Amino acid sequence: MAAHTMTSEIKPALDPVTLQILKSHFEAAAESMAYTLLRTAHSAFVKETEDFTSGLTTPCGQTFASPKDLGATWFIGLDYKGAIDAITDYRPGDICITNDPYSGYVCTHAPDVHLWMPIFEGETLVCFAVGHIHNTDMGGAVPASLSRALTEVQQEGIRIPPMKLVEAGVMNEQVLAIMLRNVRMPDQNWGDLKAQIASLKTGERKIRDAIARFGVETVCAATYGVLDLADRQARRLFASMQDGDYVFTDYIDEDSPGGVPCRLKLTVRVSGDEAVFDFTGSDPQLQSALNMPTGGLPRHILPLVGYNYVVYSLDPTVALNAGLLRPVRCILPEGSVVNPVYPAATGMRSLTCSRIQGIVVGAFSLALPDRLPAGPAGGGGILNVRTTDSRTGRLAMASINPITGGGGGWAKEDGQDGSNSFLKNTPIEITEAEVPIRVVSYELVPDSGGAGRYRGGLATQMTFKMFSPNSVVTARNRDRVRFSCWGLEGGEPGATCTFLRNPGTEREESLGNTDVVRCAPGDILMISAAGAGGWGDPFTRPVAEVMDDVAQGKVSDQGARSYGVVAVDGKLDEAATQALRTGPGERPSGLVFDPQRLAFEKIWSNEAWDHLSTRLFALPIEWRFFLKHEIFALVNADTAAEADPVAAIERAYASLLQLYPQIAPRALGEAA
Amino acid sequence: MGYRIGVDIGGTFTDFCVFDEASFALHTLKVLSRPDAPGAEVLLGLDEIERRFGIAPQEVSYFTHGSTVGVNSIIQGTGARLCLFVTEGFRDVLELARLKIPDPYDLFSRRPPPLVPRDRVIPLRERMNADGKAEIVPSEDAIVAALAQAEAAGAEGIVLAFLHSYTNPAHERLVKEAINRLRPELPVFCSADVWPIVREYERTITACIHGSVQPRVSHYIGRLEAALRERGVSAAPMITKSNGGVMTASAGKERSIEMLLSGTAAGVIGAGFVAERAGFPRVMSLDIGGTSADVALLRDGMPDFRSGELVGRYPIYLPTVSVSSIGAGGGSVASVDTLGVLRVGPESAGSTPGPACYGRGGQRATITDAFAVKGVLGAAELGYGAVNVDRARALAVIEPLAQGLARSPAATAEAVIDLAVANMYREVSRLFSQVGEEPSGYALLAFGGAGPMMGCLLAEAMGMETVIVPETPGVLAALGGLLADLRSDFVRVTFLDVDAATMPAIGQALAGLVSEARDWLHGSQSRGGQGYDGEATLTISGDMRYRGQSYEIETPIAESWITAKNDKAIIEAFHARHAEIYGHADEKAEVQLVALRVVIAGKTPKPSFPDRPVTPVEVAPEGSVTVTHRGSEIEAGLFQRRTLKPGSRFNGPAVIIQDDTTTWAPPGFSGAVDGYGNLILSKERTPWRPTP
Repeated sequence: MAAHTMTSEIKPALDPVTLQILKSHFEAAAESMAYTLLRTAHSAFVKETEDFTSGLTTPCGQTFASPKDLGATWFIGLDYKGAIDAITDYRPGDICITNDPYSGYVCTHAPDVHLWMPIFEGETLVCFAVGHIHNTDMGGAVPASLSRALTEVQQEGIRIPPMKLVEAGVMNEQVLAIMLRNVRMPDQNWGDLKAQIASLKTGERKIRDAIARFGVETVCAATYGVLDLADRQARRLFASMQDGDYVFTDYIDEDSPGGVPCRLKLTVRVSGDEAVFDFTGSDPQLQSALNMPTGGLPRHILPLVGYNYVVYSLDPTVALNAGLLRPVRCILPEGSVVNPVYPAATGMRSLTCSRIQGIVVGAFSLALPDRLPAGPAGGGGILNVRTTDSRTGRLAMASINPITGGGGGWAKEDGQDGSNSFLKNTPIEITEAEVPIRVVSYELVPDSGGAGRYRGGLATQMTFKMFSPNSVVTARNRDRVRFSCWGLEGGEPGATCTFLRNPGTEREESLGNTDVVRCAPGDILMISAAGAGGWGDPFTRPVAEVMDDVAQGKVSDQGARSYGVVAVDGKLDEAATQALRTGPGERPSGLVFDPQRLAFEKIWSNEAWDHLSTRLFALPIEWRFFLKHEIFALVNADTAAEADPVAAIERAYASLLQLYPQIAPRALGEAA
Repeated sequence: MGYRIGVDIGGTFTDFCVFDEASFALHTLKVLSRPDAPGAEVLLGLDEIERRFGIAPQEVSYFTHGSTVGVNSIIQGTGARLCLFVTEGFRDVLELARLKIPDPYDLFSRRPPPLVPRDRVIPLRERMNADGKAEIVPSEDAIVAALAQAEAAGAEGIVLAFLHSYTNPAHERLVKEAINRLRPELPVFCSADVWPIVREYERTITACIHGSVQPRVSHYIGRLEAALRERGVSAAPMITKSNGGVMTASAGKERSIEMLLSGTAAGVIGAGFVAERAGFPRVMSLDIGGTSADVALLRDGMPDFRSGELVGRYPIYLPTVSVSSIGAGGGSVASVDTLGVLRVGPESAGSTPGPACYGRGGQRATITDAFAVKGVLGAAELGYGAVNVDRARALAVIEPLAQGLARSPAATAEAVIDLAVANMYREVSRLFSQVGEEPSGYALLAFGGAGPMMGCLLAEAMGMETVIVPETPGVLAALGGLLADLRSDFVRVTFLDVDAATMPAIGQALAGLVSEARDWLHGSQSRGGQGYDGEATLTISGDMRYRGQSYEIETPIAESWITAKNDKAIIEAFHARHAEIYGHADEKAEVQLVALRVVIAGKTPKPSFPDRPVTPVEVAPEGSVTVTHRGSEIEAGLFQRRTLKPGSRFNGPAVIIQDDTTTWAPPGFSGAVDGYGNLILSKERTPWRPTP
């Protein structure tokens, strides 16, 4: 028996009030799913970092309801089509599973186990209940399955292609056995799977309630109606923007452990009430786990998370669902960091993804500088420690804190100090009671926020001492040691961040973006995040506000000078301030980047890197990353590079062609 | 014999419940609150009670009182100017809080500004370690310097919150003694004294809120005591608490933090009393006022308790009756945007200017106006002190919305109400899924000005079959205060693995807590006790978890398990509790007791309300009103609540009016009055029938 008929995407329009009422019911269903999952899941990822999703999709996989304030904030509008289509025959009582980043591009790294379940009314497939949990471990080369250093997806754990985990109510024990045999903490995975199944069933129950109350026709029509509503709401935003190209570029400090920068480039082309997000010019896929798998899908959610934030921030009344993505289309070049091909590793795609969120907001801020914030902080990383109790010998492992920085300033307000996301910290008292380390300090970093009429949010810094040998501290997603974020409308960029061992001693060592540190007894680690960018010319910030920051210890006497304010021992020198503020010199305007980035771009200019990109993308995928590093080494050693970077790249490329004649020499333009 | 009076001061009205111990009669009264002169409304109410019911202040034998003075001073930022002394290196404990921003999708979302700004947070060189050993003892010089800094900053009070003071408060005490010595007039609050929990932000913010409200609340209570004495009220006033209990006025002056959320808590206690007496073991209370709907779940008359409830935008971590506040009240504003999308709330016209139909200057359409256009409100003149509804004004503000939606005003009014109910459905669904319960097993107890108007509609949406409207739905918090027991919470952080080796330490911790609790209940009032000589009820529980978990589950513990050193029983109880809440337990994992809790309660004398004789009788409406229902005009029976006697039955649709609220029973519901005067509305499928 073919148990369902696919419902057509075209439905008669529902009256707007009924639609709003059903929207509440759908959200109630998605939220009830999330609470069920939160309550019954086993792993810390769910309960502490809320790294999970729950939602409802149309039969074609368009997410029409998600919980707003529960779970990960990255997946509003995730398209389940790729996974749904991989199964040909759905029956009541089926539940499907996948965690393969290369099967349908629903899952984006192996720890995320996605489930989806059809909800039928009679013969009609009404919708799917869906969701994922980030599992603590899926097997593979390293515990937790995540490391920047991994290069192939096979190293990142067992992968389950889309298949039925439960078939017509009967559990597929074989799949389960294989999965549980291959992971490090099978009890947790099993517990989390059960929680996911309970969550899907909660969604089904709530949808059944709605069907009983409103009728299946109305419910089906409303699932499409809420998507259409979000579509119209999003188009309102583009219609209010000036048509044109908005180009924004940013770098990840290292494209692999100790590597060279990774460039992320975006051109937002606004035309009428639509936009194209063109990622051409972003780096080739990497020999590290920073790749972001999207399959080149034009509305894949990962490159569009920042877009969701922008739309919602500008209009908090929008419906948060896949309809928001309809006016947008992404261009994601194949074999790039934003569309890697199998078997590139993808475990740490979150760093790339959060950097892309920043450049999306950045590109929009070029069009709407008065309505969006300057660059967000970042780079601090998530700190974990593994050490032993020196008296009992007992092993202690814990997540000790995310190291966070603030949000960018904007036209009406300073950025939020200390953090700008859903992450929560761990109380120092809990950390110290559980793990034999001593926290020396955990505070905001003065002067780390970019100066501006509206100051960027400050970074946080944590300093702590280790007591036993062989202790290991991991700091996932470290970045922004070299390049910081940007200021807007003449505001300054935030400060970069640091990671030091034994600061202020003879043994001081800078750890940069190192993500795994082995410590000796007595070692002190000091780690900070970057600060966020400021908005507007700092000299226009009222002196009283600057002095208030000085009184609060958020800006030092020295830092006040960036605002044209002279403070001595916390006291204002009015005359000197007046002189400084009215002194000669051009005041900054527009987008402001940090000096390190400007210095770097003397060689690696937009033009040079675009040229490099064209060269690299003409090569087979396997060669691109390798040759990028070779070219970087040669160009950086080329003393004439600054005079004409493009020529230097060409010189390097030519010499490499001689060295590697197996790369068939092809002229530009013949690449395809 | 005398009269017992419960008073609840709310934002708009102050409610009085007067119980006559001789006749068992219950009188109620509402007067306007006086935020400008707190306490004046209490005296005004006493005058009014004497005038209307002939009850002199001298006849009052018991007096309970809940006030919003503390909450208002936090919301309006008019609390004491505090300085906060913290451990050096941790100056941003308030500023960083727990990092998370309220709305992570919103690039402009902000945490509330720190209650004590950074320039008044003074780091002190001191350090206590997690094991309670002093690493750096604060020096006299450091204290003197910090105090000088605080005085220069104009401190009216100082809060001391040092790391790990929950396990060893010695440094907080030492600094407090030094400041007391140097500046005896300056109030000093130790975080370990206010509420000694582990987690520095949670303990510090709780202590700061206390320090901020204490001077004002204490002053207020003192004035109230004096005024009551002057009026001749001989009974010492009792203060209602956020934990659903009461305490003496002198305890209230010391422990002001404990009364901040007493209004909503007392409402739930009142609801629990009504529900249990009416014979409903599982009840969801729904208190809808002008700006919000407060929802709580009650099992066997008992509410849930939770910490981290919000006072304004700041959380406090004392155990509080768990109430979820939904941004939907009678004053919630409806609007239509440029895409033709209808919205209701969260913005509210509040009590000023209020709904347009109240004629107090409100210009925007609210839920109340929608009920007026629908025909439920404004059907008849109400009695003394009630607000009369002007339907023409309601129609005038609904009409622009009707144009935006291209439908009739009546249909628009229904749309506003339906959407408001759908929004509440969403929030209430969350609440049930959080605790993993099904709403169908619950009855809905509706009170507050707008609760009975919307109760049946929400019940239908939730699949609940019964709605209870108490006899005095407008003054349930005042009634709750009247019924509340003396009650106080005590906590001690233990951070111990539960095993044979740690049982003596757990026993010691319990002994300390119990003696502290008994001192509170039985100690003399001059020493901060309650002077209670009745029997105490002790409830013991542990904040427990599996090693490595980041949150604790409160698990009831029997005293005998601890005294008999039965670690197995404690561990078993935790596994069972974990399984009950989360659906699974891990029998192999190590179990930790993070903190031990004791709740002590002393029963206050309860008014005994005898049930009245029930005479089942179908009653005819006094008239009829035309109401719009699902697009058509129907005739609904009009009833006066005061004429409905125990046993009275009628069928919906019906509008039941009384001084302080209007009840809407849609078609399909029938109504009946029980022996306690509660109106029980039920779906016809399973009508509730009074038994004679």
